[in-house]
Amino acid sequence: MSAVAVHGVGTSHFGRQPERDAIALAHDAVREALTDAGVDRVDAVWVGTVFGPAGVAQRTLRALGITGVPVLTVENACASGTTAFLEAHEAVRTGRYGRVLALGIEQMSTAFSGAITPEPSDPEQRGGLALPALYAMSAARYLHLGAVTPAELAAVSVKNHAHALHNPRAQYSGSYTVEQVLGSRMIADPLTVLQCCPTSDGAAAAVLAPATGGPREVRVRGAALRSGRVWDHSSPHVWGYDIVRDTTADALAAAGLHAATDVDVVEVHDAFTIGEIVTTEALGLVPEGAGGKAAAAGVTALGGTHPVNPSGGLLSRGHPLGATGLAQLAEITWQLRGEAGGRQVDGARLGLVETMGGGVSVLDGNACVVAVLEGP
Amino acid sequence: MPHAIGADPRPRTRRSPDGRWRVAGLRCRACAEVAAYTWPVCPRCRGPVEPADFGPTGTVWSSTVVRIPVPGRTPPYALAYVDLDDGPRVLAHVVDAAEPATIGGRVRLTAPTADGDPRVEALA
Ligand SMILES: [Zn+2]
Repeated sequence: MSAVAVHGVGTSHFGRQPERDAIALAHDAVREALTDAGVDRVDAVWVGTVFGPAGVAQRTLRALGITGVPVLTVENACASGTTAFLEAHEAVRTGRYGRVLALGIEQMSTAFSGAITPEPSDPEQRGGLALPALYAMSAARYLHLGAVTPAELAAVSVKNHAHALHNPRAQYSGSYTVEQVLGSRMIADPLTVLQCCPTSDGAAAAVLAPATGGPREVRVRGAALRSGRVWDHSSPHVWGYDIVRDTTADALAAAGLHAATDVDVVEVHDAFTIGEIVTTEALGLVPEGAGGKAAAAGVTALGGTHPVNPSGGLLSRGHPLGATGLAQLAEITWQLRGEAGGRQVDGARLGLVETMGGGVSVLDGNACVVAVLEGP
Repeated sequence: MPHAIGADPRPRTRRSPDGRWRVAGLRCRACAEVAAYTWPVCPRCRGPVEPADFGPTGTVWSSTVVRIPVPGRTPPYALAYVDLDDGPRVLAHVVDAAEPATIGGRVRLTAPTADGDPRVEALA
C-alpha cells in the first residue's frame, strides 16, 4: 500500500458556457492538471459525470490524446467527481495503477433551461420534488424548530458570494446584504434565488500518484464514501445529516484525526444555503443547531475559526455536478500549497472536502464522499 | 426528456370502502418498518413485507411552495412531507395552498391531483 498524493490539479472556468463543448472544458482542466503535475501521461482515468451522454468520457479524452488506457465512468449524483477521485486514490493506494487522472465534466446549460428536470422514474421527483424543494424542506424544518433564522440562512450566501470575489474562476460573486439575499426571487420557500446554486458548465481534474515528499504534493490522509440508509419518518435529522456525519467519521478515522475541527480549511457541498448549515453541523465543525449562528457570526468566513468554502462554494463558484467534487479538491490543494491568492487561509496545513449527492427518494443521499488532505 | 416515462413510481392512493383515502404501502414483518411503496422486501432490514394501507390523517413534517417552472408542472404548487398516523412519510401536494402548509399541522389524504400525485388537505 502506498501513501497517495495529489500531484496536480486543474479546472476550467465555471459558468454558463453553452458555446463550449465538453472537450473544450475538459481540455482546460486536464492540461492544467498535467502541467501542474509535470507529467504528460497517465495509466488510467476515472471520470465523474451525471448528465453526460453515454461515452462522454472516451469521446472527450480521445480529443485530448488520452487513448488506450483504462477509462471508467462513475455516477453518484453531485458526488460523482469526488467518487472519481476516491476511486483513483484507491487505485493508486493499492498499486493497481501508478498514476491516475480523475476528471469531472458537466455541461448543464445545454441540458436544462432551468432547474434540473426531476427524474420520472423516482417517486418523489415524479411527484414534483425538484432538488431546490428537497433542500427547502430541510430549511423549513430547521426554521420551524428554531435551529436557524432566515437571516442566518442568508448569511451563508453573503459569505460565499464575498469569498468568490477573490476567485477569478467563479461563476458569480458579489457584495450582498442579508436583506438583498432574502429579498431576491423566491424559488422554493424559504429558499430565494441567491440561496440556490446556479446552472453551470465546467470541468475539473486531478493527477494522483504515490507520494514522494515533493514540495508541491498534497497528501491524501484519508477518504471515505457512503451511500445513504433509509431516510423516513423515523429519522432523527433532516435529509442528508446522518450520512455526512457518518462518512466524516470514516474519513477522519482513516486520516488519524479526532475531529473535523482539527482541519484548517474545508470545502463543503453548499448547493443551497441550508446545505452548508446542516453540513457544518454534521461534520462536527460546530454543534448541532449552531450552523446558522456560526455563519452569521463569521466563524465559517475567511478569517474565522473554521473557514468554509473559501472558493465561494457551489453557490458562487457554480455547480457543474460531475465536476464539483474535483473543483472542491482543486481548491483545497491550492489552499494547502498556499496558492489561493486573495482567498488564502493563512497557514492552512490540513484540509477537508465533502460532497453530497442525492435525489433518490427514501434514501439519506445517493452518496457522500469526504476526503482529508495534508499540505507539503 | 432523455428517456420514456415508464411505470408510475409514485405512492398509490385509493379510496377505501369507508370513503376515506389511503396509501397502499408495505409493513415489514421483521422490523415493523412501514413504507408508502409496494417494494418486494423491507428497505431497512431486507425482511419479508406484507401489504398495508396508511392514512387518511397525518402531520406535516415540513412543507414548501415550488415557484419555478419544473417540466410538466405549473408553478406555484405546494408540497408537504406528511407523516401519516402510524404510517410512513409521504410526499404530497397540498390542496389550495398559496403558502407552505403549517408544519406540525394536521392534514388528511384526499383524491390525488389530476396528474396523479398523492394530495392532502389541511384539517381545520
Ligand atoms: Zn424491516
